[in-house]
Amino acid sequence: MSEQFSRRDFLKLAGVGAATTAILTGCGPASRYVKREPYQQMPEYNSVGQSTYYATTCRECAAGCGLVVRTYQGRALKVEGNASHPLNLGKTCARGQATLQGLYNPNRIQGPIKHVRGDRLYDSFSNPFLDDINNAPANMTWDEAIQVVADALKNYKPNEIAFLMGMAPDHLFDLVTDLAKATGMNAPLRFGALSMFEARATLSKAVENLFGQPGLPFFDVGAAQTVFSFGANFLETWLSPVSYTRGFAGLREAETKMRGKFVQFETRMSSTGAKADHWVPLRPGTEGLVALAIGKLVSEMRGGAIPRAFSGVNPAEAAETAGVELVALENLAGMFATSNVLAIPGGAALGQSNGLEIAEAILALNALSDNFGQPGGVYLSPLAPDQTEYSRPASAEEMRTFVEKMAGGAIKVLFVHGVNPVFELPKSLGFEVALTSVEQVISFATFPDDTATGADYVFPDHHSFESWGYQRIATGTSQPVLSGAQPVVTPFFDTRSTADVLIAAAGLAGGKFASALPFADEVEFLQAKVGALLSQAGGSFDAPDAATFMAYFQQYGGWFRNADARITPDGSGVLNSNLSGSVAEFSGEGEFFLVPFVSPTLAEAGANKPWLQELPDPTTTVMWNTWIEINPETAHELGIENDDVVKVVSELGEVQAYAYLYPAIRPDAVAIPFGQGHKAYGRYAESRGANPADLLAAHFNKAGDLAFGGMKVKLEKVSSAERGVGLSRMESRMGVYGESMGEEH
Amino acid sequence: MIRPEEIKMSEEETGKWGMVINQDLCTGCQACVAACAMENNISFVGEVDSGYGRSMHWIRIERFWEGEYPEVKMTPQQPMLCQQCGHANCEPVCPAYATVHSQAEKLNLQVYNRCVGTRYCANNCPYQVRAFNWRDYKRPEPLPNQLNPDVTVRRMGVMEKCTFCIQRIHKAQDVAKSEGREVYDGEFTTACAQACPANAIVFGRVDHPESLVSQLARKGHGIKHLEELGTYPQITYFKEG
Repeated sequence: MSEQFSRRDFLKLAGVGAATTAILTGCGPASRYVKREPYQQMPEYNSVGQSTYYATTCRECAAGCGLVVRTYQGRALKVEGNASHPLNLGKTCARGQATLQGLYNPNRIQGPIKHVRGDRLYDSFSNPFLDDINNAPANMTWDEAIQVVADALKNYKPNEIAFLMGMAPDHLFDLVTDLAKATGMNAPLRFGALSMFEARATLSKAVENLFGQPGLPFFDVGAAQTVFSFGANFLETWLSPVSYTRGFAGLREAETKMRGKFVQFETRMSSTGAKADHWVPLRPGTEGLVALAIGKLVSEMRGGAIPRAFSGVNPAEAAETAGVELVALENLAGMFATSNVLAIPGGAALGQSNGLEIAEAILALNALSDNFGQPGGVYLSPLAPDQTEYSRPASAEEMRTFVEKMAGGAIKVLFVHGVNPVFELPKSLGFEVALTSVEQVISFATFPDDTATGADYVFPDHHSFESWGYQRIATGTSQPVLSGAQPVVTPFFDTRSTADVLIAAAGLAGGKFASALPFADEVEFLQAKVGALLSQAGGSFDAPDAATFMAYFQQYGGWFRNADARITPDGSGVLNSNLSGSVAEFSGEGEFFLVPFVSPTLAEAGANKPWLQELPDPTTTVMWNTWIEINPETAHELGIENDDVVKVVSELGEVQAYAYLYPAIRPDAVAIPFGQGHKAYGRYAESRGANPADLLAAHFNKAGDLAFGGMKVKLEKVSSAERGVGLSRMESRMGVYGESMGEEH
Repeated sequence: MIRPEEIKMSEEETGKWGMVINQDLCTGCQACVAACAMENNISFVGEVDSGYGRSMHWIRIERFWEGEYPEVKMTPQQPMLCQQCGHANCEPVCPAYATVHSQAEKLNLQVYNRCVGTRYCANNCPYQVRAFNWRDYKRPEPLPNQLNPDVTVRRMGVMEKCTFCIQRIHKAQDVAKSEGREVYDGEFTTACAQACPANAIVFGRVDHPESLVSQLARKGHGIKHLEELGTYPQITYFKEG
């Protein structure tokens, strides 16, 4: 550029730049980072400064929505959905939006730490809103840290080494799987509280039993005429919430069809159930019985022989057991008989002692609509482009087996990444105690979570926005998708990618470790894995060579096969299968059914993000705390009022929280959200609320999922509400009913 | 400057930018609330202050209850935000002219450096969508790194509210101007509409009959909240069904 290049020209050029702002791609890990500059040093006219956008994959849950992150002067400023990503088509949920509050969280682990188990990883704050950073400082170099990992790999027998991982990211899971296969280490185990509350193992087992093929079902809500959902919280955290919310919008409004109807069966009204046309409260554990009864009534109405699947049930008795009126079931069956109904089994219905039977009964209802592999019906989700068989995270029972191995001393080295089992697993499985029997615990946590507090070393991984990777889309779209992740900003702290640490440590350990991971770094590993797709036809893009392919992979946020690859399940034998109308067994003494549910806004790992804390819960509008939902009638009988401190006592323990008089819960049930009650995890999460996982006993259903809904508990009032102390609610600003809306209740 | 009380709007000239919100699609998921907070540098206030109703949400999802168990029903979720009234109740009461009507954009502006914190405007707003900074709410380091440089960071004693993401409006207009054209429909949208997984919020030009938002608003069964107060709100709501 010559000196004739005037400021006016410069501004013109800058304007063109803004118009053609594209999602950029990087070249290599070092050359693509944009340095963070202080705003004071920004060039003149910074108010029209240009933003740079990077495509990546959300890691706030395992669904794997595509994101485009706006960055400016090396800072990440705003998360948006990636409009070309087939899973979320440019949309995001609240947790995805708040990812930045994790990236710039005041309590991130700043570097590698040798740590005394139980010691705090950050100061406790008398006022968490003060701006001091008092995090435990790094006390070793990364070279020392890598040596520690290498020694752990080398000095222990392979079968004494175990990896416990979260449901994301997949590239790291693949890397560890490769390492384990080559060296004889224990295969890495994946777990997440969301998959536990979704009862994924039960869902896929039921699919296998009915259709002879395992897989994760995909329910085409968008094209359905009517949806009967049994406890599926598909608008909250279930499987792939953004995709299912789009489906729900399609159910309600489409140019070519009538507004779809939606019926929800559950014990307490979830925020999904709040959208239903008919909300049917059921006694927990009777969902399968009700499904069979509806099946029988529908068959009777349509005439002809009653299919074997539904023949064994007596609708009148079923209605009695479930606590609904027979006439209500008959009305619903009438609605079913004249419509094409999609029946969805959700986690709340399957986390019961008879959860597998319930799942089969509900799935079998779809046979009456003959909707297998039909628009608006049931499919099996396509496998990801690089996947050959279905895999699922560990069930709670498999986790118990693993914890027993830890407690018995069979596991001497435990690596933990992407999961917080001390918080997420029910206390009754004894993970926290078993952790003390493991000789060496190495955590790769980004945040000082409950599990990292019990580790010997914390070698923090980058935040997801500083990370490379990919994620296979398990469900939610008709296309096979490998979603790509790339760093959108330079690492903020002295963290290091866990994949890089493992590759370097394997190299130091030598032998079969080194030969298992013959890569210079994480990016080379990714290129090797993702590059294998280059030869595949029918994808979202083609590229002449591996480097270009990788560049496109980053730029578009992944590689998607264009064809609809949903699998049609073989439902031919469903109506003739032998289904049981069993009733769930309940453990514990007490008069109330316990309904633990995942907080729609916090989920399992959102509690350390202050804006997620300040989002009102969609049903109760409570912010920043845990509440116990009690039916107002029940509360009245027990002399409990809003904001009284109450205690729920199960056979295992007790949880104390404020009472919330919730008008949409059965009088014989109490509900507690899961998401709060951390013992660590930073200033916004620690010592806030209570964790219902402390109440859950180790009872499982036949698929190995936790029967988290199979408990009976006692409810006791601890103390009356004090003036000015209680739950923070949005509704106190806008009224509930009877108070500011002028209605009498 | 035109004084607020001089603004006369007929029902035909309803403004420039507007929204259609479909409550039948809204699931109350709070994605819009989070997106708004991230885009507009909105402070979080903590448990105690939010308990006193001092939370700073520019958009909130209202829901009420009807009936009693088991016939209980939640009313359709209702995203409530500044309605950018054509004849706004907040405007004439401000002694500092801090909340004024923009001639160019036909929006209610909030001029932070004029605001002296009388809170008259919040008292007068029938939609209760104004939020007051009762304190200097701290963002501990390094949280300020996510602040959007296009949006002013507000301090104690200042009123704030939804701006229809005016920074996005201006950016889109700048781009269009540099290319010698008009901003086309759907070229940009507000943070809440962009995030909404159900597409329940649609934003656009209500003065262009062919824009998506105008087409939707013409569907006929939409309502405007508290229209009877003569506020000329710019947001059309569709109830259930």
